[in-house]
Amino acid sequence: MDALRKTQNPDGGWSYFPNKKISWLEPTLYAALALHGDPAADRAWELLRTWQQDDGSWRPSAEVEIAHSSTALCVTMAAIRGEFDAPFRNGVDFLLGSVGVEHSFWKRTFARWHWYDPERNLDLEGWPWKPGTSSWVEPTAHALVALKKAAAKATQLASLTQRVKLGEALLLDVRCIDGGWNYGNRTDGRNNLLPSYPETTALALVGLQGRTDIGASLDLALKYIRDGASPMAAAWLNIALRLHGKSVDAPTDTDPSQDILITALEALGAPEGNHRLLATGAHA
Amino acid sequence: MKFTRREFIPLAGAGLLAGYAAYDSKTRLPRHITGRAAVAVVKAASYTDDLASRIREGIRECGLDVRGQKVLLKPNLVEFDPNTCINTNVAVIAAAYDVFKSMGAEEVTIGEGPGHRRDTHALAEMARYRSELTKFDDNFVDLNRDDVSSVMGFADRKEIYLPNTALRADLVVSLAKMKTHHWAGATLSMKNFFGLVPGSVYGWPKNELHNVDGGIPQSIMELNRIFRRSFAIVDGIVGMEGNGPIHGTPKAAGVLVMGSDLPSVDATCCRLMGIDPTKVEYLGMAADRLGVIDEARIDQRGENLKGLRTDFQLIKDFQQLRLA
Repeated sequence: MDALRKTQNPDGGWSYFPNKKISWLEPTLYAALALHGDPAADRAWELLRTWQQDDGSWRPSAEVEIAHSSTALCVTMAAIRGEFDAPFRNGVDFLLGSVGVEHSFWKRTFARWHWYDPERNLDLEGWPWKPGTSSWVEPTAHALVALKKAAAKATQLASLTQRVKLGEALLLDVRCIDGGWNYGNRTDGRNNLLPSYPETTALALVGLQGRTDIGASLDLALKYIRDGASPMAAAWLNIALRLHGKSVDAPTDTDPSQDILITALEALGAPEGNHRLLATGAHA
Repeated sequence: MKFTRREFIPLAGAGLLAGYAAYDSKTRLPRHITGRAAVAVVKAASYTDDLASRIREGIRECGLDVRGQKVLLKPNLVEFDPNTCINTNVAVIAAAYDVFKSMGAEEVTIGEGPGHRRDTHALAEMARYRSELTKFDDNFVDLNRDDVSSVMGFADRKEIYLPNTALRADLVVSLAKMKTHHWAGATLSMKNFFGLVPGSVYGWPKNELHNVDGGIPQSIMELNRIFRRSFAIVDGIVGMEGNGPIHGTPKAAGVLVMGSDLPSVDATCCRLMGIDPTKVEYLGMAADRLGVIDEARIDQRGENLKGLRTDFQLIKDFQQLRLA
């Protein structure tokens, strides 16, 4: 925690690495979650609130003027903090209106006419990294957490529930043959099967909290940890497995990473860490 | 000379058509390059050879001077599979690092932003970059999570955000791998610039580059238009054939290919791989806009191309690329 406090930028945000200058939403959000309740976290959230755009989306940093999938992280944070005002509602509306381009009418029609094989079910609806691109695992997982968190206060509950259902189905549709997930392709576009990665397997599991049909995926996540995952993957796997109620050995004490995102994720995934703030499932 | 209106209209139409052919609005660049380019091909049978000497020889043949420059080495680190050879071999990176340092570069940084995995350091560990490159953690920048600046104009997009480490470099060295590519035909030094695009903005994968008007070829063009101060060193000691760039099989070509004109380096690599560069869409677009692909205008340095050609296996969809 001290390592996080020491690396906070003067604007209240965090960079990805201590030697960088620009604050980014992702490390800022995870550091703020790890430090939830601390004044440093409040300063971070004050900064992030200023990054919301007119369409309800959040930009990924002050320097980057695009609508970004990390909007989901801010909706989650707003819900965690119990702030259900206009920024929260606009963020939820943005997420409900955001869908991958593979779901377009024409792509679905061409796939239905067998003009091409998309190697995934285009009737499902996931989330893209940025508008105008396809749905992928990580933004879909984050959006699922955000919408599940938002459900209690959402005004469009029916469409929210439907998007959660279709988003979960999309994650299951793109699950790799080994039971885990990579960035979001089960095959390479030429029907060759692709393997999963540890970090994206963990992220998908965070999005799929509450499901009871993913035992093989949880077993794979445990195997990834046992086999010695990288620091980033181990941090995400710890968070995911704890959110699914699985006991994970506490990580051995190591020097703080020079990677601020990893430091924040490790703090979140520690036994006493704030990973519970991301809970949406049976263990919430 | 005077034209009647009846004479003027067809002449103006022909002029417009000729202008359109020379300046295709999609590529934003006129075909203005009329000169020649130098490409060095040096033999290297194995990664245990003295690669530093080979690279120094190639750079010298191309007349590159890096004294006082900030150099970014951009390897191709995509995924890891112990059964094949997806990435630029660590021995090539280590040798290039030493050579650029010894040639008087003010600063040599290694940077990459893998397209599929955000866990760059895990990939670097698996590819043995962390264990075998001196002071890797001090010299390496994860371009996916670097600070960024916007550059105006990118295909049909208003702007693109790119990593400051790359934008501030005096020279970006594309340390590419010689591979076939199941969408683009071949991936060499020009396509390697996809790894300069930050995942923190565009995600994993960098789907934006596929979705701009003109798709992958146009994105390759645009990145190479932006990063003009560049040099290429293509690792063809062992390349990849078949279903590249990830699921292909190793193919020994026994060469390093170098030059400052990236289209001419890639065109030469294609000829070595038995691929007709004029049929690779992005190279056709780059011809005379970004560089030279015409064999007659490439000054071959080092080894003679004849006798070095080794046909890389092509997937069914790309059989038409085979060089006669």
